[in-house]
Amino acid sequence: MPQKWRKPLSGDRTKVRWRSWMASVAVLLLVLILYLRPVPWAGDKLIVEQQIVDSAKSQVCAHTLLENEVEERKILRSLELVREMGAGTIVQFFPWAYAEPEAGAYSWGIADRIVRQARLQGLRVIARLGLVPEWARAADASQTTTLNFLPESSFTHFADYAATFARRYAGEVEHIIIWNEPNLSFEWGYRPVDPAAYVRLLRISYERVKAANPDAVVLAGALAPTLEPPGSAAGMNEIDFLTAMYRHGAGAYFDALAIHTYGFLDPPAAQPKSNQLNFRRAELLRDVMLAHGDGQKPAYITESGWNDHPRWTGAVRPSQRAAYTVRAFQFVEDNWDWVENLCIWAFRFPADTLSHPDNYTLVNAEFLPKPIYFEVQAYARGWERPQAAWLPRPVED
Amino acid sequence: MRWKPKLSSLVVALAGMFLFGLVLRHYWPPSRSLAFPRGAIIVGVDASYAPFALDNGESLQGLDIDLANALASEIGLPLRFLNIGHYGLYDALISGEVELLISALRIDPNRMEDVRYSLPYFDNGLVLVTPPNSALPDAHDLTGKAVAFEYASSADSFIRAWEAQGIQLERLPYELPQYALDSLRLGRADAALLDATTYLLYRKEHSEWRSERRYVSHVPVAIAVRADNVDAWKLVNGALSALKGKAELAKIIDKWFQAN
Repeated sequence: MPQKWRKPLSGDRTKVRWRSWMASVAVLLLVLILYLRPVPWAGDKLIVEQQIVDSAKSQVCAHTLLENEVEERKILRSLELVREMGAGTIVQFFPWAYAEPEAGAYSWGIADRIVRQARLQGLRVIARLGLVPEWARAADASQTTTLNFLPESSFTHFADYAATFARRYAGEVEHIIIWNEPNLSFEWGYRPVDPAAYVRLLRISYERVKAANPDAVVLAGALAPTLEPPGSAAGMNEIDFLTAMYRHGAGAYFDALAIHTYGFLDPPAAQPKSNQLNFRRAELLRDVMLAHGDGQKPAYITESGWNDHPRWTGAVRPSQRAAYTVRAFQFVEDNWDWVENLCIWAFRFPADTLSHPDNYTLVNAEFLPKPIYFEVQAYARGWERPQAAWLPRPVED
Repeated sequence: MRWKPKLSSLVVALAGMFLFGLVLRHYWPPSRSLAFPRGAIIVGVDASYAPFALDNGESLQGLDIDLANALASEIGLPLRFLNIGHYGLYDALISGEVELLISALRIDPNRMEDVRYSLPYFDNGLVLVTPPNSALPDAHDLTGKAVAFEYASSADSFIRAWEAQGIQLERLPYELPQYALDSLRLGRADAALLDATTYLLYRKEHSEWRSERRYVSHVPVAIAVRADNVDAWKLVNGALSALKGKAELAKIIDKWFQAN
């Protein structure tokens, strides 16, 4: 029989209050434990076994964009897909602004986990360095400085970053690209492009990187393919820029040339022309190297590919993109013994751009490989394709 | 007794005024001079997307160009275009170089801190096309059906995702999306999957052919305005609604997708 309720005495009230407190704390603790339990500690490392790349084609490479991934498992998944595709090399951006947000105070967390995961997947990393931290941009009266604005007074700071990077990852990352597309005003901090200034940056960086790791391979250039006319505010065509680099003594300060070459509307075997952008335009850069006695140096094509957006005028059809990409790899194998790698821009974006740049990727943001991925995989791993990829055009009976 | 204002009353009064201001701002008619202070509407467009915007060397043409002209006429201001490459479009808007972007833009949630999008004026999602009078099927109804699509396209990826869900259909990949529609038109396929723009352009070429479509994904296309230019956003939405109400928008779309 239930007890009749009575007003608690003051001693009872203290006990009741105490019990309520204890119960509340217990519930709160339980909720916290349940909430926090499945989440790994931020410092936890994913346990991954050492892998090796199964590939029949050593030139196959992809440009990854892992620097903005928050979750390490996404870095892992991207690199697993690169390895499974049969690419043994990646080009990866390591932003200076992320690594040295304050002068001299390095923060290697982002770079460390990318390099570690790439090593565990058996991948070689070509590091692209750039993106200026705010402290190194300096005030400029003429404009608001962008993340690509590197004043001459900070060239040594950038070179120190490159050297520190080379020393830290010696034995793991041996290939280092100094800057990206310095022949575009946008990539040179929205200033007029300046081959002589780029060569000064290259010289300081080369000397310090080599002092830090004599085995490092310093790549210069990574010039954007462009038809900008002389005097254009937007940039300088890459053939003239490389010629000017040699004129300013660049030849002594790089071990290999990084090349960007895109196919646009042409198939890979289309003849190169000075007034047209296509895949074999890379040969025009090679001609400049040969003309300056640099034929012994290799080149790395660190960005390349075709776009298959249905509406963009610079795009081909998806079937053409897949076929051209595989034929480009074959073309390199058959004809360009001076090219070490052909790297496809871009393997995957962390988030879709919702415009035509998405149509350069091999894997979408949700990690779903596109059909072109399987074509490259079949080529890289030496698999026979069982049948034609598409049916003949239907015609009326 | 003298009334003494309390801090709490002051806070309530200020909050009330703030809320009233918000409501007033919401319903206050937009100002053309605030929205377009240069006395003209400056529109940024990347004229490399047929049939939305193309530069034929002498002038810009396309659905987006016609839409911009109709909007300007509805708003009552002159119009100027700035042809900008894709990568510079949003920078031009945010820096104030242009006031609107009308450039076949997909609504991008990641940009909404800086940008407001108008009501959508076109949907370029994937459409499942079937012969006339056939019951438009769901994905699960496609089991055992022959579905034509362009090899390696977004439709191909979509079909691979269906297959991963256990939907067993007969794949008919073609080199071009037009061939997938040829296959349907000639009775070789039960359905075809492709983007809405390509379907509409094909239908324009084959005006005698009848078909039905059903969207299986949506890609809304809209106009972008700087987030702080609320007046421009209201004017654009008002003008778009007016154009829809008068069937002018449908006429512009038909001009580019209907046979003459």
